[in-house]
Amino acid sequence: MGLAGYIGKRAVRLVLSLIAVSILTFTLLQLAPGNFADLQRVNSGATNFGGVGTESMVGELESRYGADVPVWKQYLIFMKGAVVWDFGPSYKYASRNVQDIISEAFPVSATLAVLAVLLALLIAVPVGVFAALRQNSKTDHTTMFVVTLGHALPSYLTAAFMILLFSATLKLLPSGGWNGPEDMILPVLALSLGPAAVLARYVRSSMLETLREEYVTAALAKGGPRRTVIIRHALRNSLIPLVTVAGPLLAALMTGTVFVEALLRIPGLGLYFANAAASRDMPLLMGTALFFALILMVTNLVVDLIYGLLDPRIRTVGGGSHDGH
Amino acid sequence: MSDEALLSVRGLRTTFRRDGAEPLTAVDGVSFDVRRGQALAIVGESGSGKSVTMRSVMGILPRTARITDGQAMFGGRDLLAIGDKELRKVRGRDIAMVFQSAMEAMNPTLTLERQLTEHLLWHGICNKAEARKRAVRALGDVGIPDPEKRIRTYPFQLSGGMRQRAMIAMAMVTEPALLIADEPTTAVDVTVQRQILDLLAELKNRGTGVIMITHDLGVARYFCDDAVVMYAGRVVERAPMDRLLDDPRHPYSVGLLGSGVEVGGRELPLRPIPGSPPDLSHRPDGCPFHPRCARAELPRCGTEQETLTIGPGRDAACWKVAVDA
Repeated sequence: MGLAGYIGKRAVRLVLSLIAVSILTFTLLQLAPGNFADLQRVNSGATNFGGVGTESMVGELESRYGADVPVWKQYLIFMKGAVVWDFGPSYKYASRNVQDIISEAFPVSATLAVLAVLLALLIAVPVGVFAALRQNSKTDHTTMFVVTLGHALPSYLTAAFMILLFSATLKLLPSGGWNGPEDMILPVLALSLGPAAVLARYVRSSMLETLREEYVTAALAKGGPRRTVIIRHALRNSLIPLVTVAGPLLAALMTGTVFVEALLRIPGLGLYFANAAASRDMPLLMGTALFFALILMVTNLVVDLIYGLLDPRIRTVGGGSHDGH
Repeated sequence: MSDEALLSVRGLRTTFRRDGAEPLTAVDGVSFDVRRGQALAIVGESGSGKSVTMRSVMGILPRTARITDGQAMFGGRDLLAIGDKELRKVRGRDIAMVFQSAMEAMNPTLTLERQLTEHLLWHGICNKAEARKRAVRALGDVGIPDPEKRIRTYPFQLSGGMRQRAMIAMAMVTEPALLIADEPTTAVDVTVQRQILDLLAELKNRGTGVIMITHDLGVARYFCDDAVVMYAGRVVERAPMDRLLDDPRHPYSVGLLGSGVEVGGRELPLRPIPGSPPDLSHRPDGCPFHPRCARAELPRCGTEQETLTIGPGRDAACWKVAVDA
């Protein structure tokens, strides 16, 4: 009952937030200069007012919203569709509905994101623990220096470098595309390095903090083997707050990574979103923006639920007040 | 007396490594004995080295600490010489430790069952099922009602007093010969304080040796047989508890007794010792107490500190003390 009530409350908040996001996004997009038709004209180099494609596009827009419908009514019409997962056709990809684009592109981005975060955790946890156990030693400083480098390198640079190395020079991996598992290696590697660095620093500091806890000393005083004490008492408790960092990282990657997707020609959501923004593709922009907001909020909810599952202090109190991030 | 001593510490010296400075001597030539079924109070202000002394014996010092001299005979072996692997078998099984705050010394994310049984398993004392039985019994022994049910809870679900009892149960479940209690009553309120002390007194009566680290002479007086008074890492006076209270000899002990502690139900007049304990990195030469001592006589007090035997089981580190005929 407690948990169901908690989730219910969070769901209501989630819906209210989504409405707020939609109003804000819609308003901002209305205020933004330029529109799809104008941009099409400029890009196609047409001199006359409105090309054929543009004309039909405008027609479609008019048939959906009505030509002289006031902005607030346009919003309501859009939202009426959004509620039943129908965002209408995209302007740019005129033959396809926005929801179909999302359904097709999101799994691609999500697969990459999940794999990248998993790889990042696999790297970060051992590295962070290793550095923490040797705090202030040369190994610690060296490791953390490398980690900072990894953090500072943008993923598109890493991706470009990897394409040069693995595809162009060694000819081991495809330089892009999305046809099989081998196409995942480069993007996952490129995407995981930054998060791995963030997470490693977090694991290190969290671990250092936990190692100073009296209960770790107390466990050693009970005669616990060092390794067992470190894993059962220190590491376990250090990793609990990690979900609050890993969750948002995962959400950020799931909503697409424009540069890496563009560089490696991956049909992910980030790429569509960037194109939609560049061409003022209103339905696609609104649809993806709302979808991103939904993903972020659901991730946060899941993070809080997992946190409660891992930390008995929150689980048993009922978790109503916890917003762990 | 040494032959019947449970733990016999001689000339213990512990230093802490510092960046760009000489190591800091936190414990400097400390010696004392504890006998079976007896309680020894180690009394001193914070920073006097009482906790470091006992953590040295237990081998649970921080990484920067090093034991540079001394021995600690327990069961015919020198705990400081047997190495961590052997010491680990003694730690938590034959010598157990109770900490100031159960809130900090118990792992918040593990159940009492886990924390009360894990060292029984580490030491191979019994199997899991038997360990659980023993843990339930230990909880009952310290006066926790309904131990069968309570053992499944987490530390934070207990009241402060119950939590402190649970920690004592955790220490006693292996039936150690010696219990080290590090300020076990400092973090609890007065009513609980009395209950905890009664519990410890009961353990003592059943034959457990107890070392009580405290800054509170009232607490020490309540059930300790002997006392060691520490100042700036050194023992300044060693005496049977009642003798120390009736007739303190070292000027620091005299000052400590006069500084407003409650003794024998009457509040002694508050006469604080002028000055403050020395920073260990600038410990005065000779007797470390001499800059604050009303009876100090220079130059001798500033160059040497002599420990005189002043009666049966009594000595004091001051050349000016009166020696019993």
